[in-house]
Amino acid sequence: MFAYIMRRIGTLGVILLGSSFLLYNLAAISGDPIGELKISQDPRAKQQIIALTRELQLNIPPPFRYFLWLRGVLGIFVGKLDLGSTRTGESVGTAILSAIPTTLRLVFTASILAMVLGISVGIVTALRQYSKFDYSMTFVSFLLFSLPIFWVAVLLKQFMAIQFNNWLDKPTISLGALVIIGVVIGLIVASIAGGARRKSYSIFSAVALSTMVVLWILQKINWFLEPGFGPIFFFIASIGIAFGVTQLSVGINNKSALRSSITMAVVGLVFYYPTKWAFKLSNQTLVLLAMAALTLLSAVLVSLFFAKIDKIAIIRTSILTGIFMGLIRLLDQLMSTWPRFISTDAINYRPVPTVGQANSLLEPGDYWVTTLDLLMHLILPTVALTAISFAGYIRFARGTMLEVLNQDYIRTARAKGLSERTVIMRHAFRNTLIPLSTIIVVDFAGIIGGAIITEKVFGWKGMGTLFNMAINSFDLNLLMGVFFLTGTLSLMANLVADLLYSALDPRIRTGSGA
Amino acid sequence: MKKNRGAKVALAVLAVAGLALGTLSPANAATRSTVVIVDSNTFTSLNPSQPDHNLVLNGNVAYLSSMGFAYYNNKVDYVRNTAFGTYKITKRTASEFKVKYTVNKGVKWSDGTPITGVDLLLSHILSSNDYSIAAGLGDPASDTLQSFDSLGYNGAYNELIKDVSIASDRMSVVLTYKKFFPDWELYGPGPSPVHTLMALANGEKKLGTYPHNVALKSKFLTAYQSKDTATLKKIAKVWSDAYDITTVDSKTNPLLLVGNGPYLVSSIVKDQTVTMKLNPNYNSGPATSGIETVVFKTIPDSTAAAQALANKEVDVYEAIATADSVAALNKIGSAVNVDGFAISSYEHVEVRSGSAQGVKDKYTGPFAGYSQQAKDLRTAFLLAYPRQEIIDKIVKPVNPKAVVMNSLQYFPGETAYKKMVADSGAEKFTEGTQAQRTAAALALVKKYYPNAGTTGVKIKMLWGQPSNPRRAAEAALVKAEEAKAGFDVDITPTQGWSAFLEDNKYDVQFYAWSKTAVTQSGNYGSYKSTESQTGYENATVDEIVSSLETDVLTPAQIYAKYVAVEKILIADAVSIPIFQWPGVVAYNSDLKGMDPAPLSPTVLWNVWDWHF
Repeated sequence: MFAYIMRRIGTLGVILLGSSFLLYNLAAISGDPIGELKISQDPRAKQQIIALTRELQLNIPPPFRYFLWLRGVLGIFVGKLDLGSTRTGESVGTAILSAIPTTLRLVFTASILAMVLGISVGIVTALRQYSKFDYSMTFVSFLLFSLPIFWVAVLLKQFMAIQFNNWLDKPTISLGALVIIGVVIGLIVASIAGGARRKSYSIFSAVALSTMVVLWILQKINWFLEPGFGPIFFFIASIGIAFGVTQLSVGINNKSALRSSITMAVVGLVFYYPTKWAFKLSNQTLVLLAMAALTLLSAVLVSLFFAKIDKIAIIRTSILTGIFMGLIRLLDQLMSTWPRFISTDAINYRPVPTVGQANSLLEPGDYWVTTLDLLMHLILPTVALTAISFAGYIRFARGTMLEVLNQDYIRTARAKGLSERTVIMRHAFRNTLIPLSTIIVVDFAGIIGGAIITEKVFGWKGMGTLFNMAINSFDLNLLMGVFFLTGTLSLMANLVADLLYSALDPRIRTGSGA
Repeated sequence: MKKNRGAKVALAVLAVAGLALGTLSPANAATRSTVVIVDSNTFTSLNPSQPDHNLVLNGNVAYLSSMGFAYYNNKVDYVRNTAFGTYKITKRTASEFKVKYTVNKGVKWSDGTPITGVDLLLSHILSSNDYSIAAGLGDPASDTLQSFDSLGYNGAYNELIKDVSIASDRMSVVLTYKKFFPDWELYGPGPSPVHTLMALANGEKKLGTYPHNVALKSKFLTAYQSKDTATLKKIAKVWSDAYDITTVDSKTNPLLLVGNGPYLVSSIVKDQTVTMKLNPNYNSGPATSGIETVVFKTIPDSTAAAQALANKEVDVYEAIATADSVAALNKIGSAVNVDGFAISSYEHVEVRSGSAQGVKDKYTGPFAGYSQQAKDLRTAFLLAYPRQEIIDKIVKPVNPKAVVMNSLQYFPGETAYKKMVADSGAEKFTEGTQAQRTAAALALVKKYYPNAGTTGVKIKMLWGQPSNPRRAAEAALVKAEEAKAGFDVDITPTQGWSAFLEDNKYDVQFYAWSKTAVTQSGNYGSYKSTESQTGYENATVDEIVSSLETDVLTPAQIYAKYVAVEKILIADAVSIPIFQWPGVVAYNSDLKGMDPAPLSPTVLWNVWDWHF
């Protein structure tokens, strides 16, 4: 095993060395960093050419300059990594370090969302193979596959930001729009639910009608300018979560689990007003940490009170319920911040931004307003990235799940008389995750590389923008810095994926050579 | 009791109605005082006078935070800023030329310290190679890094200005030139807050008191006069490094933010925004009209910028003028004004006639030399160059008023343009229709290459990056039309094209020149034999341009010389202009006072006139 890893790391080094030499020279001959200055009539261009030639060592031919760069990189072994400096004299290391958090913030959320959504939808389509839902999701996933992100971004900005903000100026929904929205949502839900024609009709009419009624009530009570759940809806949502989580986690027949999750919902309701007070305190990071700890603690205590056997599973169920309830509570708190947020001078009743990472005109100090601002800036790029990338996960999860469901051990499990829930969640789902885990690892390495187009369209400056800038301004050191990081990460990720596969799947052995 | 209850109910109803109204109609009626400007760059330094940091956004921030003796307006006049100070020629003889720059009494830095002549001395240190060498700060002409990493060295300033000395009242400085120079105004001194530089060099972190600042100024003066290497090197380190910050917040050293312009940096979010606030002590230039905060927001993508404008996130966007961008901006509607304006760049074509100076191999292509054959072939090529078609298909979608440009010096629309076109003989390339010109060109080519009608003369053209769609379209139009005149033009795009401008492989090249200042020598400097990238050599042109660069001339004499150069260039058929680049600015229609200028900083030049 150890020998295998060492051998792999050895090859990794050789690949990096060869590819970096190739890339360095190809990039160096592709453009002239001082080209624009040569044709500039600015009397000061001459001094700029002198300075850049000196700082970027342009008088040394690229094949030799590569080794100067390599010397800095090899400094990593003595703890002095030096990736050189950019055209503007900034250290490449610093530039990359400041870009990584931005990229993570942008791509991480979207990737997690895409994975969770894609895998769950994929598995459901596999369970309902050849149903209406399966066909419609197949259609949707191929549609999303084929959309270019810059176009999706333009549409999202037009409809979810510009038009939405205009609408918010006078948030009323006309009767015609109300009917159309109701019918569309009804159709979607009915197609997902499937079943006989009659059942479809009743689901469609129920959903369509209730959507219209709910929207009508919401606009009458001016909910779009002053949104929120309030304690009652919070409690109803919590009960729903309690049932749902229990069903997926241990089955609704486990009475102690159900009792303890429902108790969690009651505890949540009791703490509704105290949390409201706590959200006004000064140090919100501390408050949130304390709340998370309290939620965990109460989940454990409540389940210990109800559980007689199988304690771990029940604790897990309660904790999951608590986490989801906490998220709903946070959403409610953000909603109650909304009126305060949109009436600030900096926002001026146009809350959805199309570009940037934060509104710098917003007065700092109000934790919830700043958080809401960050989230509003995150919303469009995240939706765009998720929409584009989750289609892949749907297809992959569906295929893997179908293959697993056809295995002999699934038939055996069913023959044993296990409940369908146990067969799916415990035997099929877990085995589906093995091949998925390797994809996820490689995808995560890709995340650091950034999303060049998305970052540009939404005005974020992460790794993708650095890469783009490096290419456009012939900034060789910056380009090589980005390449060095992404190249190393993706090679490492491949190694980790291989090791992970062998750890998860006992049929596969690495390194013995046999 | 009953009445009381009625009143209470009425009050409650009123209160509810008031609340409802309050939530339904957003309170956005208040006068705005913040203007958000799009910039495609990111901010890298508060000091754009360093070679690494000479970027548009850095320059714009510096433009707003400092005012000097003069600036360019939208009519390309060099306007004297009398609110700040005055300057006049004090001595002018055959051997001596002196100009005195005087700062007005009472003008102040933002920290309240008066601006004096001492503040004008730093620009000499930053631009004079001789001073740098004499003060032991290094030789800027060498390849090693100097103490001051300044953009000003090795330029005209160094060649012209011998010395800068301070007057006894310390409010004036006198620049002593080596000889008279027609464009002397462009090389005047600019103010720098030297007391803050001294304080930063001492490691101070707070704004100094008035007497302390005055004392620091005197110390700087002593260091300047005695060429105190140690002190100057400490200042150099601060000047070259301390201002290179990309984040400004409450922890930033306030000494770095002192200036005398209308707006000063108050916060910078790295790679995102630069926020500037009105300078409370501003009295160094034209009075501002109501804008209190100027924000530069970095948006690299043009569609994103247009949508941000539609979403009212930004107020001003100077777009890259393409047909698509203008169409997108016009679609936004009445909330946004879209104004076209001319910028000081022009596309032109140059035909190679020889090897550029310093290039070893000899150019032997069809256009080489000054024989009748070479001249005829160059003439033929330029005759068949489809300038009108390029304008109709590529420029007009952006600027419907665009016309063919026929003078290398004057832009269409400038007063002297028409006269120049009539006097220079530009009709050589404009007579008749394009079809007639192309036919004439084919006849010329056939004189030397009888088979040109079937197998064209091979020509290689340099035109730029393959990723530039406008240039690619231009090149394709040229290839098609030149084929009819017997030229087989190779328009393979060249990666890193600008490195090949002196390369003999290419017979023809077209690209844009961009003017940054108005000088007496005009746009002809690049046709001197020492400068020409296409190896053009003409003793008369060299002589006239040198005279324009150094002699004292009347406007009539200058014009006569311009005409003479253009005549020769047209006769030798080495270069013709094509069109002036259009600029376009889109801005919030509530914003008043926008009137862009052709020269940098284009839209920003009159920011003090802006108001909502």
